[in-house]
Amino acid sequence: MEGKIIVITSGKGGVGKTTATASIGAALALEGKKVAVVDMDIGLRNLDVVMGLENRIVFNIVDAVNGKCQTQQAAIKDRKIDNLFLIPASQSDNKNVITPAAMKKFCVLLRKEFDFVLLDCPAGIEQGFENSVIGADQAIVICTPEVSSVRDADRVIGLLYAKSVQPKLLVNRIVPEMVERGDMLSHEDVVDVLSIDLIGLVPMDESVIVSTNTGAHLIQNNKSKAGQAFRRVALRLNGNADLPIEVPQAKKGFWKKIGFGLSRNK
Amino acid sequence: MIEGWFKKLFGKEKSKESAKKRLKLALVYDKLEVSDELISKLQQDIVDVISKYFIVDKEAIKLDIKRSDNFSSLTLNTPILSARRSPSA
Repeated sequence: MEGKIIVITSGKGGVGKTTATASIGAALALEGKKVAVVDMDIGLRNLDVVMGLENRIVFNIVDAVNGKCQTQQAAIKDRKIDNLFLIPASQSDNKNVITPAAMKKFCVLLRKEFDFVLLDCPAGIEQGFENSVIGADQAIVICTPEVSSVRDADRVIGLLYAKSVQPKLLVNRIVPEMVERGDMLSHEDVVDVLSIDLIGLVPMDESVIVSTNTGAHLIQNNKSKAGQAFRRVALRLNGNADLPIEVPQAKKGFWKKIGFGLSRNK
Repeated sequence: MIEGWFKKLFGKEKSKESAKKRLKLALVYDKLEVSDELISKLQQDIVDVISKYFIVDKEAIKLDIKRSDNFSSLTLNTPILSARRSPSA
């Protein structure tokens, strides 16, 4: 059976595309699928450090797309998770060294080799975006509950529809306490504005930074709420489409429970 | 706590409400924005159609998009020199 190619995109930078790619990819591999995560951000690679594989890079995506090496040579095996491979971006080239046509051909090769291919799209809507979308079967659009991020997500969703790629939405970095007191857009607000189906809701979580510090897998930290939310996204992609979407909940302290917490709700 | 009651009494809106309103407006405006290239293509197409029935001064044609709070409109102004007696196909 041919593999599925999923592009992870957002328009705006810094909303969590790379973390999402690494986490969802790792979770799919733990489900027993053969997974490639591909860093499409040529010139500004980062997926390698997030996964702790920066010391193992020999070949990169530019080499693989332009036929300077085999696909398998560019795919670095993960240190901890079997079946998980990283195809890193090149750090020295310009984004335009890969053309959409060459990338489309490369996607055919990737599909034969892997069950799931996750493409970590660069920010922006220029050629790096075109390259990432051209061969994709579906898209995950990531946004945070902020005005700028939601606006950019809307633009990207429009572009994806124009290219006949079905997008689903992942709302990242939700702070339930802020949503509760009306200082942050809720996921309902975001869905209402963007009119698109959800694939997951991920809370703001300090452990994301802690795991990137060491290059460890977020999803292997059972205490990380974000990690577990990403794991459920992976399960939805892997055949459990109906797995209910959990809404991040605010921690309820003793005083808040009996009503004295009101004074902090300014 | 008292400040919170005051806010409720005077109906000061939550910041997320203004975020949502501003977003919805921004998205509407974003979608109305058209490039100069598209405008000039549209103008060319309109001139071609009108020229089938009228002889017009092609240089004097002006195509404008006007926006107000409630609606946006497309206006075309062209001087007609004469009608074509037998419209060309």
